[in-house]
Amino acid sequence: MNTYSGPMLEFLEARPSFEDSGLPPVPFSARVMPGDCIIVECRDAERAAMFADMCSGMVSLQSGAIRFMGLDWSELRYRQMNALRGRIGRMVGTQCWSDRYGAHYSMMLKVIYHTGRSMEEVTDEAIRLSERFGLPGLPVSLPSQMSSADKVRASCVRAFIGKPHLVLISDPLAKGEADLAAPLISSIVEAMDRGAAVLWFVRNLSARTDYSQVKTGLWHLTDEGLSSGRSS
Amino acid sequence: MSTGEQPPSGSRDEADSDDRELLHAAEEKEHGDTPGGRFARFLGRIGHQVRHHLWFFLVTLGAGWGVVSESLRRTSWRRTVLFEFGSTLREVTMGGLFSTLVSGMLAGVSVVSQMIYWLGFAGMDEKTGSLLVMIDVREVAPILVGILMLGRSGMLTFTELGLLTTSGQTRALIADGVDPLLQIVMPRTLAYMIAGLTLGIQFSLASLVTGYAVSRASGAVSNPIWTFLYDVITAMTPHDYLFIPLKFIVVGFLVGLGCCIGGLTASSSDTISTMMPRGFSRGMLIVMAVSVIFSLNL
Repeated sequence: MNTYSGPMLEFLEARPSFEDSGLPPVPFSARVMPGDCIIVECRDAERAAMFADMCSGMVSLQSGAIRFMGLDWSELRYRQMNALRGRIGRMVGTQCWSDRYGAHYSMMLKVIYHTGRSMEEVTDEAIRLSERFGLPGLPVSLPSQMSSADKVRASCVRAFIGKPHLVLISDPLAKGEADLAAPLISSIVEAMDRGAAVLWFVRNLSARTDYSQVKTGLWHLTDEGLSSGRSS
Repeated sequence: MSTGEQPPSGSRDEADSDDRELLHAAEEKEHGDTPGGRFARFLGRIGHQVRHHLWFFLVTLGAGWGVVSESLRRTSWRRTVLFEFGSTLREVTMGGLFSTLVSGMLAGVSVVSQMIYWLGFAGMDEKTGSLLVMIDVREVAPILVGILMLGRSGMLTFTELGLLTTSGQTRALIADGVDPLLQIVMPRTLAYMIAGLTLGIQFSLASLVTGYAVSRASGAVSNPIWTFLYDVITAMTPHDYLFIPLKFIVVGFLVGLGCCIGGLTASSSDTISTMMPRGFSRGMLIVMAVSVIFSLNL
C-alpha cells in the first residue's frame, strides 16, 4: 500500500516545448490523485507517447511545472529523476526489447535495477503477472522470437511489475487483444486499490465499454492541448 | 547511377553542406560585409569545423570521465550493471580468445622467429630479449589485440547500440529511469578494458612461445624455453612493467568506450551501412592513436 497521499501527478500551467516534443505549446493544468484512473483519449499514438514522456519529466517546458509525487521534475538532479522514473510503469510508445538477453530479463530489468528485492521475489511476481496476462509462464526466449501478441502481454507485465506508483498504459484492447480486458482491468483495479494512479491512453473511447469499469476521470489530448471530459 | 542508388552518406554530406550554407547566410545577415563581419564569419567557420571534427572526441572524453567517476561509486554497481559487466567480459574475452591465440601464433612465426633468426645471423643475440619486448610485446601486441577486439566484439556493440538508439529503445530505457551510461557504457567499457589486458597477455605469450618453437625447430636457438623467457623478462625495464599493461588497458578501455558512445550517438538517419564503416574507422583511429601516443612517451 502506498503511503503517499498528495497528488500523484500535477501539471501546473506546464507549457511543453513544441520543438522538443511536438506537443501543442499551450499550458497544461491537471491533477491525478492516488487511486485515480484517468482515461486519456488521444487519436495520435505518437502524441500519446510524447505526453507520457512529459509525465515522466522527459520533455523540456517553456514555463510551468510538472510534479510527480510532489517533486518538480525540473528541480531534480539526474540520478533523482532516474530514481523517480523507476516508480512509473509504462507501456506507451517504443519499449526496449534487447535481443542480447531473454525477454524475461527485459521484463524484470527495471525492478532489478531500481530495487534491492531478491531475484526470487521479482521472478515470482513476474511469473504471477505473466500467467495472469495469458502467457504460459515467464518468457525466456529472445524478444525477436516472440509473437506480437505475446509481446503485448509481456509489455503489460512490464508495466505492472514492481508495484509502480503511476502506470502509463496504451490500449492493448484496441489491437484486438480482447482477452486481455479482464486481466488488464483487474491489474488496474489492484493498482488503484494500493494507491497508484493510472493514465490509460485510448484512441477511441466509444469503441469499447471496458474503460468505464475503472474510469475516474476523462481527458482529451488534442491539437488544442489537454481538456477534461465528463466521467460517466 | 540514379539518384535513388546513392548511399545514405551522400545525403548526409549534402545535409552538412546545406547546414554550412545556412550558417553562412545567417552569419552574413548578422555581421554584414564589413571587415569585422568577415573576421567574425572566419572565426565562426573555424569554430564550426573544430566543433564538427572534435565533437566525437569531446563526447568520448566526457563519457570516459563519466565512466571512471561512476565506477568509483559503490551505488553504481547495481545487480543489472554487474550482470552486464560479467556477460560482456565473458563475450569479449572468451569470444576473442581463439582468434587472439591464432593471431599471436602467426605473429610468433612472422615476427618473433624472424627477429631471432636475423639477430642471431648478425651476431646480436644479446639484444634479442629487449628487441622482442620493444617490438612484439610493446608495439605489435596492443595494435593487433585492439584491432581484434574491435572487429570481433566492438563492431557488434557499436551496431547493437546504434540500432537500439535509432529505434528509440535507448529513450525507452531512460523513460524507465535506467541510465544508459550506468547500465550500458560503464560496464561494457570496463569489461573491454580488462579483456584488453587479458587478451594482450595471451597474445604476447602465444607469439613468444610460437616464435621460440619455430626458431628451435629451425635450429636458430638451442637454449631451453625457460632461458629464452628469462632473457625476455630480464630485458624488461620497470617502465615496461608499468606501461605495457597500461597500454593494453587503455586500448581496451577506448575501444569499448568508442564503440558504446558511437552507437549511442547514432542519429535517426543512420543505418547499419553508415554505422559500420564509421565505427570501424573510428575504432582503428583510436587503436593507432593510443599506440602512437604511448610510443612517443616511451
